[in-house]
Amino acid sequence: MAKKNLKIIGTPVPKHDAKIRVTGEAVYGHDIKLPGMLYGAILRTEHPHATFTIDVSAAKKLPGVICVITADDVDTNNISYKRDHPILKKEEVNCIRDEIAAVAAETKEIAEKALKLIKVKYKIKKGIYEPLDALKSGAPLINKFSSGKFEHKNIAEKFYYEHGNIEEQRKKSMVVVKRTFTLPRMTHACLGTSNITAHYNKTTGKLLLYSSTQVPFLYQRDMAHALKMNPSDIRIIQPVIGGGFGSKLDMYPFEPICALLSIKTGRPVQILYSRHEEFLASPTRQPMTIEIEAGADKDGNFTFRDVNVIKDNGAYTSWGATTPFVIMQAFSSLYTLPACRFSATAIYTNNVFAGSFRGYGNPQATFALERVIDLLADKLGMDKAQIRIKNANRPGETTGQGLFFETCGHQDCLQTVIKKAGKKRKSENNRYRRGMGYASMIHVGGGAKIYRSDGCGTTIKIDPYGYCTIISGSNEIGQGSETVLAMIAAEELGISLDKIKVINTDTDIKPWDVGVHASRTSFVAGNSLLGAIRILKEKLNLKAGELLQEKSTSFNYEDGFIKTKSKQIALDKVVREMHFTLPNELAIASYFYEPSSQFQDKGFKGNVSGTYAFASQAIEVEVDTYTGNVRVLTVHVAQDVGKVLNPLLLDGQIHGGVLQGVGYALTEELIFKEGYLLNPNFHNYKLLTAADTPDIHFYPVETHDKQGPYGAKGVGEAPLIPTAAAIANAVCDALQIEMLELPITPERVLVALKNKNNK
Amino acid sequence: MDFSVVSPQNLSQLRNAIRTLQRKPYRIGAGYTDLLMELRKSDTSDLTVINLAQINDNGLSHIKSLVNHVHIGAMVTATSICMNDDIARRFPTLQQAAANLASTQIRNVATIGGNLCTASPSGDMACAIVALKAHCVLMNVDGKKRVVPVVDFFTGPRTTCLKKNEFLYKIILPRNHKQTQHIHSGFIKVGTRNAMECSVVSLAYHIQVEESGYVIDAGIGIGASAPTIRFAEKAALNLIGKNMQNFTDENRNEFAKKVLTYASPISDVRATSWYRKEVLYNISKSVLV
Ligand SMILES: Cc1cc2nc3c(=O)[nH]c(=O)nc-3n(C[C@H](O)[C@H](O)[C@H](O)COP(=O)(O)OP(=O)(O)OC[C@H]3O[C@@H](n4cnc5c(N)ncnc54)[C@H](O)[C@@H]3O)c2cc1C
Repeated sequence: MAKKNLKIIGTPVPKHDAKIRVTGEAVYGHDIKLPGMLYGAILRTEHPHATFTIDVSAAKKLPGVICVITADDVDTNNISYKRDHPILKKEEVNCIRDEIAAVAAETKEIAEKALKLIKVKYKIKKGIYEPLDALKSGAPLINKFSSGKFEHKNIAEKFYYEHGNIEEQRKKSMVVVKRTFTLPRMTHACLGTSNITAHYNKTTGKLLLYSSTQVPFLYQRDMAHALKMNPSDIRIIQPVIGGGFGSKLDMYPFEPICALLSIKTGRPVQILYSRHEEFLASPTRQPMTIEIEAGADKDGNFTFRDVNVIKDNGAYTSWGATTPFVIMQAFSSLYTLPACRFSATAIYTNNVFAGSFRGYGNPQATFALERVIDLLADKLGMDKAQIRIKNANRPGETTGQGLFFETCGHQDCLQTVIKKAGKKRKSENNRYRRGMGYASMIHVGGGAKIYRSDGCGTTIKIDPYGYCTIISGSNEIGQGSETVLAMIAAEELGISLDKIKVINTDTDIKPWDVGVHASRTSFVAGNSLLGAIRILKEKLNLKAGELLQEKSTSFNYEDGFIKTKSKQIALDKVVREMHFTLPNELAIASYFYEPSSQFQDKGFKGNVSGTYAFASQAIEVEVDTYTGNVRVLTVHVAQDVGKVLNPLLLDGQIHGGVLQGVGYALTEELIFKEGYLLNPNFHNYKLLTAADTPDIHFYPVETHDKQGPYGAKGVGEAPLIPTAAAIANAVCDALQIEMLELPITPERVLVALKNKNNK
Repeated sequence: MDFSVVSPQNLSQLRNAIRTLQRKPYRIGAGYTDLLMELRKSDTSDLTVINLAQINDNGLSHIKSLVNHVHIGAMVTATSICMNDDIARRFPTLQQAAANLASTQIRNVATIGGNLCTASPSGDMACAIVALKAHCVLMNVDGKKRVVPVVDFFTGPRTTCLKKNEFLYKIILPRNHKQTQHIHSGFIKVGTRNAMECSVVSLAYHIQVEESGYVIDAGIGIGASAPTIRFAEKAALNLIGKNMQNFTDENRNEFAKKVLTYASPISDVRATSWYRKEVLYNISKSVLV
């Protein structure tokens, strides 16, 4: 396995692509220009719910317009995992994102002008914007493509899970708390807006896509299904991505639309979202209400949780509907728990649909759970730190859901942040009130076996000059996985980092991988690479032994040499000898790594990940009771990362995640009224800036999980998951109020204060 | 956005440009941080933008400290205001308003003239200018100047008293009184972010105090609380003759109530009218420490 005395792993190697990024040389999807390329633009509905007729004749006549399509012009399959989403909508629109026509033109300006020439007559219908309204009897069918396998036609998805005996545990409970929490629509706000360039070659019948998908192989399959093509006739190249965060985990209509425009015209076509379109039409974090009842016994041991989640599915289904996979893990398994019952229902409405977003339902669940833990502690008169430490997960634990924690840093994380944060500082005066809040989280740390394989393939080769190329199935979306892969190869092969290349952007070349999500890439791709290196080394060792006339097969790979105690030979020389002398072999090896995780059974039980990550945060805030503004003063983060592979990149994940979490807690919300989006701009969508970054103190906890590369676990999502929960707890602590809703806007704070004072 | 641009190099070319466009749609462009966003939303095919950025004229682009006044050219940027010592020392409310506007990048181009002429109820520098009881100097195509008190400059949300043949030339700040020994001056901006934030409510105060602690002059401007930035005259007058050192809670509440009489805020995506009033009241109290 991986070596012990590490030289590169664990050191702060700067990002592999840092230089081309900061010099502006990185080629993003927006930078791609192909000969003869046309510009695509999409006409979306003006109303969330209406029937319509459309006349594109004037647009077609505009000089420079090459192609205009509507639903009538295309023969496609529906998209989304439920296949309930038509690419272009016909006669009826069901949410404010709905695509009703698309144009390809010689310039962007002409394309936009053409959109204005399309005449659409709407007959506005009364939509349904509250999930529970959609379940009322007599509510119209919202999505006519949905399969209707549940008891009500407007239900898109359902989950039910339980372990233990709720009634017995309820009896054991000295305190029980019940609350309903409401979570907002947050958007990814990627700095690089959604983009795609499609190039269909009429002669070969092959489609080339420059796409920023996070899941190229699933995307290839989905695209093929949508367009009724052969998956292998579609090649996907992933340009540099300006932000993913989960937003590119699904395929959305604009992508097959762009492909269709290229297929129709035989020319390359590019669609770039404007910022307005990005706010309107890219997916969001899943909004929901969480009703939770939870108990604890007289000693503060948690007894049961009974949870019911209602999700607004929007008009079509995307990955937001499947967030209960992760949500239920938080409720069933964060802190030791004898009994849990969980149900979740996704209900169609005429709102926009949600997708996957860093944390995948976990920030929502953790907010509700950690708020309730504070309330239980209050009722018991127990210290909020102590109740958590008492119930924290332990190594060796198998939870009611069947998650097995071979290693577990939960206690360590909690104790670290509680100690480091210390007591909250005294409020200086009546106006500014200080509060301290704690929260923990559990998240998959070794992939998540949801798809048939959670694996990743790698091919590694060394060339006759001693340079190494890693061809990885995994994807880089800015998280730094390329850097970590290069570090692993450098560590194991003794090749300097500048001689290592990572190729990971072309489905025609790279081996299969399920995609970048679930904090899995360093874990899965790292293990995959280590497997390939092991095989490659066997070949190199053989040749080196032969050349050095050395029987032993234990060699050290260092500084470009393969060494024994007394002899050494340059690695590139060994490779040349392999290539150019009999039996003429390549210095190349491939490996496919599949994590040891299991599929869950029908009751969602099973050890779904190779390992689990834990984290705790302690956050101190200061609330201005005059304005309701919450200032996050310090954030203490302890995270069980297994092993620090690269402290610099890890810090980046922590800082970025925490700030995203602060935004979720305090400011970020897409505001809709009756299906219309009211704040599709950075002016009113309050994404935080560098100037809002609190003091962040990070303490990695290393538990050395033997499943992980060098003991590492996934780290990407965790830093954002407990942040909103800890901030909410801190605000409630500061003001002695209740917060049942995110974001905790200044206005909501003042309303809560007013309600408290009026009591 | 396809419009034509003319870039006069001096004042007389500017006047000519405006004169020739009297019967056509035209807009004046300074730092473009408001204008471009506005033009993006409208049909600009017949439009001419008169670009002020290349004009070489001290009156338009400099800050000039005189004995009785400080002149600030309409083209002076927020950054230049932040860096001016005279303003920092004697008119902190303006310095703070400029320093808290948007971000470094925006401040480097956003002009005080643009901030006034855009006439947004939430304009930050404009709010401070109101508290400072400044005057606006307007110039017409014949070179004639017209001086109006800044409160009269604003005629409604996003409208000013500028005629089609006029532009804003400069702003004149009156100097603090000779007897003033101490100024209690600042700008309170309420919003959610620390940068890139448009005021949800703002309050500019400039209170001049003589040696014994008595208030001899006061200016209070409130932003984002009414269709235009308002000068809270009764609140300001209420302070005169009072001693800064012994304000009671009763004084504070009375002052805040007076400020509030000038507020008639709207509810929008950023905040409700209720919130704006509540906060305006609270921050008004906080002015009288
Ligand atoms: C991201 C962002 C953040 C912002 N944050 C803030 C903020 O925090 N606080 C704030 O107050 N504002 C803010 N603004 C608004 C804007 O930056 C300011 O109002 C700025 O002062 C405008 O100045 P400008 O030079 O860019 O004006 P321009 O955009 O060039 O012009 C604005 C208007 O004034 C007219 N005009 C300009 N100069 C003259 C003149 N001399 N005579 C006649 N008419 C003239 C123009 O025709 C136009 O109607 C923000 C804007 C952006 C884009």
